[in-house]
Amino acid sequence: MDRVNRFVLLLAVFAMNVLAQGRGGQGTRDFLGLGAPPDPVAAERGEKLYTPNCSFCHGLKANGAEGPDLVRSPLVLHDEKADLIGPLILQGRPDKGMPAFASMTASQVSDIAQFLHMRVELAVNRGLYKVQNIVVGDAKAGEAYFNAHCKTCHASDLAHVATKFAPVDLQAAFLWPASGRGRGARSTKATITLSTGEKLTGTLKRIDDFDVSMVDADGEYHSWPRDRVKVEIPDPLVGHRELLAKYTDEDMHNLLSYLVTLK
Amino acid sequence: MKIRFFLGGFFTATLAIAQDWPTYNGDFSGRRYSALSQINSSNVGSLALQWMYRVNVGPLRGVGNAQIKSTPIEVNGILYFTLPDHVWAVNARTGEELWHYSWVDHGGHLVGNRGVGMYGNWLYFLTPDGWFISLNAKDGKERWRKKVADEKLQYFTTMAAMVIGKRVIIGVGGDAMDVPGYLESRDPETGDLQWRWNSEPRPGEPGSETWPSKSSMEHGGGMTWLPGTYDPELNLLYWGTGNPNPVYAGQSRKGDNLYTCSIVALNPDTGKLVWYFQASPHDTHDWDNVETPVLFDAIFNGQPRKLLAQAARNGYFFVLDRTNGKNLVSAGFTGVNWSKGVDQKGQPIPDVAKEPKEAGSLIDIPGGGGTNWPPPSFDPDTGLFYVNANKGYSVTYLTDTDEKPEGYGGSGRTLFSQSALEAIDYQTGKIRWSHEYQGAGGGGLGGAGILTTAGKLLFTGDPAGNLIAYDPATGKILWHFRVGSNVSNGPMTFLLDGKQYLIVGAGDTLFAFAILKP
Repeated sequence: MDRVNRFVLLLAVFAMNVLAQGRGGQGTRDFLGLGAPPDPVAAERGEKLYTPNCSFCHGLKANGAEGPDLVRSPLVLHDEKADLIGPLILQGRPDKGMPAFASMTASQVSDIAQFLHMRVELAVNRGLYKVQNIVVGDAKAGEAYFNAHCKTCHASDLAHVATKFAPVDLQAAFLWPASGRGRGARSTKATITLSTGEKLTGTLKRIDDFDVSMVDADGEYHSWPRDRVKVEIPDPLVGHRELLAKYTDEDMHNLLSYLVTLK
Repeated sequence: MKIRFFLGGFFTATLAIAQDWPTYNGDFSGRRYSALSQINSSNVGSLALQWMYRVNVGPLRGVGNAQIKSTPIEVNGILYFTLPDHVWAVNARTGEELWHYSWVDHGGHLVGNRGVGMYGNWLYFLTPDGWFISLNAKDGKERWRKKVADEKLQYFTTMAAMVIGKRVIIGVGGDAMDVPGYLESRDPETGDLQWRWNSEPRPGEPGSETWPSKSSMEHGGGMTWLPGTYDPELNLLYWGTGNPNPVYAGQSRKGDNLYTCSIVALNPDTGKLVWYFQASPHDTHDWDNVETPVLFDAIFNGQPRKLLAQAARNGYFFVLDRTNGKNLVSAGFTGVNWSKGVDQKGQPIPDVAKEPKEAGSLIDIPGGGGTNWPPPSFDPDTGLFYVNANKGYSVTYLTDTDEKPEGYGGSGRTLFSQSALEAIDYQTGKIRWSHEYQGAGGGGLGGAGILTTAGKLLFTGDPAGNLIAYDPATGKILWHFRVGSNVSNGPMTFLLDGKQYLIVGAGDTLFAFAILKP
């Protein structure tokens, strides 16, 4: 294929990333079938009861210690509003060494249940995961890399770039600008050469192996079978494409550490 | 209509699919090669739409618009196909609906459903929330149901049940909560358990030395969510297993983590492991190795061999001797910068430096892998293995640095993905021809499967909503039809009343094609 035509992938990748964002939180809950979200305020109260009473056996994060892992406990997972957890806390499991906490009130039991459901939520709902500290590189080395590989095209246009992106999005954006969140899909320019030799330039609308369509500068729509025209689509990301194959992870981390200083 | 076929034992790995298409892959070999040639390279230009059947179920929870990912089965003129929570029977000649069975789930993932299995008059269907259901093929009435997986533990069931003799083989998916995988054989008459193979060994068993602790094995993974293949002569069942858990965080499970990310050969009578080959030891990239293990007999280095080939999600193409699991070929068909080559067993060696890091690791495969579940094909006429491959880049992050990480423990972000149809020489792993798709998209969890036929044709879909017929020898495009949505399942074919049909699912619609005047 025309190497330059790869550029039309930008639109799809953008759509995929929008989809990924939509999956955050509630979207992921729906996908995973997690049901109603836990109550964070009750969960916080519950943690204060859980820690002194339960964590010695079940671990501070409730994922098991001497006692069972409660995050993967079918009883916890099938519980709704403490209907299963409540009786167990109040009565204990003396045969298995778990004491009864008979003096707990219904609201205390409910709060502990909410804490456990929050623990499940935080483990399972990957839509809530946060990328951690990602600015770990050497900014000076990053600047040197920038000067050697990026400056030819980006001599001045990246001033204040660090104010426009969170670091994780900035990393994606310099690796492959089309994947940067919040940038929107760029329009793709195409030049079509007709069999008469006439050339038309416009914004590519759609292309596959069989047909190509575009909208010209006057807003007119055109469509041709691919075998009757020549299609040229310049690839503005050619420099990024070449760098993707060259970056070491260290280069990537250093470059980010430099770019976050451009405030 | 009287349905008289008992499917067990009808097919061998070396015979092509005959008139009907009675299983997910058409036969037990997974080749998706049909001996039919009424539709062929000289008349494919007159291939024409016969009917369409649009499902009308609205958006599915958490996934949006319906995508037919199931390969319909065709038995005695009836097509049976599925969506999550739904089964349909339609007349293969006309597309007329005979019945529609629907299920109300109580959780589980609606990410896809691959279809039904059939035994005599009975169909087998798995629901998103772990119910194994037998239906009467005649009217879609439920015969019985068995609970086989707990959706609250984030198991889900999407595969097409696989019937081998008097056994129904079913697997499970689900890696959100770090639970162990398994594969079950159940009685086709009663649904009762016949055996269960666990994806992880128990403490003290062979393979347990590849895990640091009992707890890590219990978090296991190794899901079994796509149908496997079967060699009746060797009486071996071949299955791919999914990633270990937590998906991206390997610090609590140091070691190779058997039998995750592996191809395993099991005795279908007992469920006992006969051999294994691990495609991604200690995987930290979500590279489920469930892609179809394709069986064929062919010459290798001048000798006739019983082979198994797989294009794996981790970007490697593998060929094994399926009698014993010995590796013959390991070659990247996409980028494979996550590995440092292969060991003496042909197994890739993971590069520790490319495991997900807090600040990100740049991987030269897009998210979703070098390929994914869409079925590949092997054409014995060309000797080529065909796969829809995804090339590109992603960054993977470690988000849970705890010594006991949970859930996925990390995340991945695709930078870009370019998909291509690749034809791979099974003797060398070299790419004989490749067709990079014009237009956007591809990759991820979607994509089209592949069908090859004795009509010297290869059918698959592109990411621009076209169903395309290629010359499998050269990759030349011979025909296409704009189905609108991207082809979302594996195309299948059958002969009915002397007429060869081609069936393909695209989004919410099933399309049937045939030659206008054969």
